[in-house]
Amino acid sequence: MTLVAILVPLVALCVVARGVGFLLLTGVVTALAMLLDGLTPLQEAGASLALLFAVAPPVFLTRYQHDATHERSGTAVPFFALGLMVLLLLGCGRAGSTLFPAGLCAMVAGLVTVVCRQSMVWQWAGLLTCIEGVLLSAVLGRQPVVLGVAALAGVVVVLLGGMCIHRIMPRVVAAHSPARQSRRTKPATGGKDT
Amino acid sequence: MSVATQATVFLAALAFVWPFVGAIGVAAVPAPRSREVALWMAGLGCLLSVVVFMFPAMGGNASGWDDDPVQRAGRVMLAFGLLLLVLENGVMPDRLLRSLPHVCTALAGLACVAPEPAVGLGILEVALAWGVFVFTRPAGQAKTGWGLMRTGSVGTMLVLSGLLLPQGSTVCGLMMACGLVILTGLAPFGQFWRDENDSFLFLPFAGASILLAMRLRGHGGMAFEMALVAAGLVSVWLTACAGRSRDRQRLFRTFPSALALMAVGVEADVAALLFLCGWCLAGGNRSTRGWAVNVLACFPPGAPFVGCLLLLSVMTDWSWSVAVLTVCGILAAVLRAVPDREAARLFWPEDMAGRVACSVLTVMGFLVPLAMMLGAF
Repeated sequence: MTLVAILVPLVALCVVARGVGFLLLTGVVTALAMLLDGLTPLQEAGASLALLFAVAPPVFLTRYQHDATHERSGTAVPFFALGLMVLLLLGCGRAGSTLFPAGLCAMVAGLVTVVCRQSMVWQWAGLLTCIEGVLLSAVLGRQPVVLGVAALAGVVVVLLGGMCIHRIMPRVVAAHSPARQSRRTKPATGGKDT
Repeated sequence: MSVATQATVFLAALAFVWPFVGAIGVAAVPAPRSREVALWMAGLGCLLSVVVFMFPAMGGNASGWDDDPVQRAGRVMLAFGLLLLVLENGVMPDRLLRSLPHVCTALAGLACVAPEPAVGLGILEVALAWGVFVFTRPAGQAKTGWGLMRTGSVGTMLVLSGLLLPQGSTVCGLMMACGLVILTGLAPFGQFWRDENDSFLFLPFAGASILLAMRLRGHGGMAFEMALVAAGLVSVWLTACAGRSRDRQRLFRTFPSALALMAVGVEADVAALLFLCGWCLAGGNRSTRGWAVNVLACFPPGAPFVGCLLLLSVMTDWSWSVAVLTVCGILAAVLRAVPDREAARLFWPEDMAGRVACSVLTVMGFLVPLAMMLGAF
């Protein structure tokens, strides 16, 4: 357990409060927390997966316009996440675990994001924060099977989330030929209606 | 290794691979002939699963693949669910869509037998991803697909984090129970079931989640069992409160899975199997048909009715007050929520799928308790 591992839930709270911009930072801090714990193959694999899931979505999102969904959820959401984290800590303390469950706290923050935020990109970021948390927890708890399953879930979420975003959100790219551009945006408007 | 052992191992392996073969076959043949091929493949799959149940492969535990009789019987139910899905749907032009129930049933069967429950969860996640990919290919479906993906992944993440916590602790049990309730799509908690086609994916998916719940019980401990019973009880009572209105039929559809989760919670595995049978053969989008309403409402004869009796007999040992609450909840739900009494009065259905479903359910209702008395479970 290092200080960096304690930073992970705090950065995850920033994802709850501000959105996908903090996902990259979460990934970097998670990878650092894994690597500072030791340099076995399990930790290296976990760190590279955490970095991959944190770097790929923001890079992918630069090709699309800013998500302008109007958020109706209030300012209380991060505090809700914080409250759930405290509850989790109390529960783990009662169960006799002296270790700070950093990964699971990050997972709780991600869950709150998924449930309480309306914009799809934000929910995507929340789900990926969840996966970062589970990855960290699996690496710190030395459970390679859970790490593998979380990695699989992460790949699925990244791919399918990217596919849905590609079909819903408008592109940034300047129009090379107007005809192709209009054809490409047609299914996107259809996707918005549902 | 003797010839008989080799034969049973071969049959067990074939039973796992068979639905995949079926999926490839159904996708490969042209659309007009596909339904016939699918029927043959699903029928042979049922036969194979029954044979594997009767002649289990010995020594499976040594190689790490967990296989107890309840899980094997659960795969029989999943196979019959696939047969019914094929029977009641007509010819579908889309190749991927018509092979989807085969793929999902195959993955669900694999998920139940995986050496560790976490691996089973991973296989279920793959099934979900494939199903969502197939559903959301038509234009305008992306947002629905994202909703399905999001809910399913949240369930998987909750169960995974429960597995990471110390065994038997309260937090661990609660997290795993919440995740499983979401994966099963239990009515007020999960938000599955938006489209007609969903049953291709979610009938096997929810069935496999129920079977997986039995295997997670060892890790979850007391809190897990109590949370499952509580969730099932809340769902049953909410079904009773919602009544007969059209937009609330979603609650009545998951009535058997609520009872199955309660049965898993009180360790009545055979009752859970019978509810699973009811779920696979009458759940999903069939709740408008008379015979399916009869089955969902646990009317005799049929597997869910026998399941109710078994569940209540075990539950009275577990806790008297919960048993009384359950009986009242089931009765209230049957009195208040069963839709369309005229259709429900019809016992022998007119369509082929309904007849097959009714006969299978009645036979299972007799055979499963008989097998339990003979010591198969």
